[in-house]
Amino acid sequence: MNGPAELDGPAVLVVDDEAGMRDTLVAILEHHGYRVWSAPDGETAFSAVQERAFDVLVMDIRMPGRDGVSVLQEMGKPPPQVILMTAYAREDRLRAAAAADVFAVLSKPFELRRMLRLVAQASRDNK
Amino acid sequence: MTGSNTPRANSMTGKRGKRWPLRPLSAVILLVLAAGAVASSLITQKVVEDQERLILREQTAEVAAVVGSAFAGAQSSLQLLGEIARSDQGHPQLFTNAARAVTTTSTQAWLVTTQSGTSLKVTAATGDGPAVGQAVSGDQGTLARRALSAKGLVSGLVRDGGTLRLAFALGGAAGPGTVVWQESAISPTTPTPTGPTSPFHSLNVAIYLSNHPDPSALVVTTTKGLPLAGVQYPFRVGADTWLIVASSSQSLVGSLGQDMPWLVLGFGALTAVLMTAVIETLGRRRDYASALVEERTASLRSAIAEREAAQADLNRQENMAAIGQLAATVGHELRNPLAVVTNVLYLMKVGSKADANDPIRRHIATAEREISAATRIVSDLLDYAAGRGPILAPVEVCDLVAEALSVVPPPDGVQVVQRGEPQVVDVDRDQIRQALLNLITNAYDAMPDGGVLTVSTISEPGSAQITVTDTGMGMDEETRDGIFTPFFTKKARGIGLGLAVTKRVVEAHGGTIAVRSMPAAGSSFTLTLPVVAAMVSASQ
Repeated sequence: MNGPAELDGPAVLVVDDEAGMRDTLVAILEHHGYRVWSAPDGETAFSAVQERAFDVLVMDIRMPGRDGVSVLQEMGKPPPQVILMTAYAREDRLRAAAAADVFAVLSKPFELRRMLRLVAQASRDNK
Repeated sequence: MTGSNTPRANSMTGKRGKRWPLRPLSAVILLVLAAGAVASSLITQKVVEDQERLILREQTAEVAAVVGSAFAGAQSSLQLLGEIARSDQGHPQLFTNAARAVTTTSTQAWLVTTQSGTSLKVTAATGDGPAVGQAVSGDQGTLARRALSAKGLVSGLVRDGGTLRLAFALGGAAGPGTVVWQESAISPTTPTPTGPTSPFHSLNVAIYLSNHPDPSALVVTTTKGLPLAGVQYPFRVGADTWLIVASSSQSLVGSLGQDMPWLVLGFGALTAVLMTAVIETLGRRRDYASALVEERTASLRSAIAEREAAQADLNRQENMAAIGQLAATVGHELRNPLAVVTNVLYLMKVGSKADANDPIRRHIATAEREISAATRIVSDLLDYAAGRGPILAPVEVCDLVAEALSVVPPPDGVQVVQRGEPQVVDVDRDQIRQALLNLITNAYDAMPDGGVLTVSTISEPGSAQITVTDTGMGMDEETRDGIFTPFFTKKARGIGLGLAVTKRVVEAHGGTIAVRSMPAAGSSFTLTLPVVAAMVSASQ
């Protein structure tokens, strides 16, 4: 887990096994003033959530090892606001709906403006 | 195989148009056999008639022989009486006694006449005839002179007062110039029936003392029905020719012979009918069999054709399924890179100068457009590959149209008109919006030089119609026929799935899609959606 030490924006954890996706999302969110951490897989993300509190979790559903949904299920309450990302729209939407308590599901590729709007809403709601 | 196992009767007769009771072959055979039967019957009748005639002739000859032999007896009696008269030496009593001895019930008189100069006188007599010493004249005179000149017995009819007599005369029997007579009373107009025991009881006979059936020369007849139409048989009695005319009063060949022509006709007719029935039956059976074979062959052919069509359909479906699988895999794999590139472009944009004329900014904008085009292709592929069934919820049609129009803003020069009345239908909002989006973007693409896009909704009982009309370039017939086929496209960009997806989505809702288009005259697509969608399972 990597992340900035001291900034005052909302804390966001980006979880994606694709390095390109993960790094660009981190850069974009940081550009918009968020304090961003990232994790390459479900296991790491789970540890990170145990370690510290996040306002928003932006997580890919399909990942090797533990996937996004199983991480969510084990995280326990109160979880941060969760935005799930998927490249497999229909099936993963259903799985995400089963996991409940999800703030939003984004189909890849998504409009960045929409993603930023959702993250902003989620961080406000979590305050 | 569809349909019954047996050909219907009218399918067989239908070919001949009109139903005849017999097939032509059978009718011909019936006619030929019937004609044969009639001919056989006629021939048989002729044979029977010939036979009848032959028997009649034989029997007539027998009658003539019997009659002739009876008269031969008469000649010898006259000969003997003549000898007695010649030797009586003035005792005519001897002749009288001898004559009485041979007299039968029908004999009227016996007499001897002797020529004396030119006259003829009776010199001996017995019975109811001229007396001794009387001269004979008239019929008797004529007969006596004929007897003197003729050789052998002469015969004739003589009238004696009111009675008619049959007279036999033998010249020279009692010496030169003498004639010996026998006269018998006859009644030729009264029929003399033959008894049932007579060998000739089946004949009608008339005997004439002449060589032709002269009524005045009739001697005896067995019937009143004269003249007889039958066999004429002339025969000799002494020096004269007599005639027997005979016909049969009943069949001489027997009743079987009489009936034979009818039996032949009946048997022939029966044979004709039976043969015709057999041939007709065989013919119909053959027709039936060939009709059956024809029908079976036809149904087999159609079954094969159906199977081939089904196989082709299955192959096509399998191909499409394989393509869909490939499309899904490729689409998913492309999504992440596309998303990453989108992010990178965003970062480049926010990191560059905020000047719209900066070349980097313009290059980034170009890259963004290309990425969004690529994203749309991937979405089309995935929509097509997904092929899920609609999840229905009440949706207001005008809202949905407005939403779709807002997603894709019109290009420059294109005016958008939306009209129609609100109506709520049960549809999958996402799917129908996607269908409308496809039609709207196609319409925009068809109007590169501007135009008018009209989206109108019409509310009808039980259904809603949404028509998307453009004033663009239109389509020729070939294009119009192909647009709903997957991977068919006339565009420079795109993979040809938009309308295929649209059609599938609409049909999965139990609706229809129709297109009207002419080159240079724009295109018009009409979606008809049932208010309560019939759930149609989406095919892959």
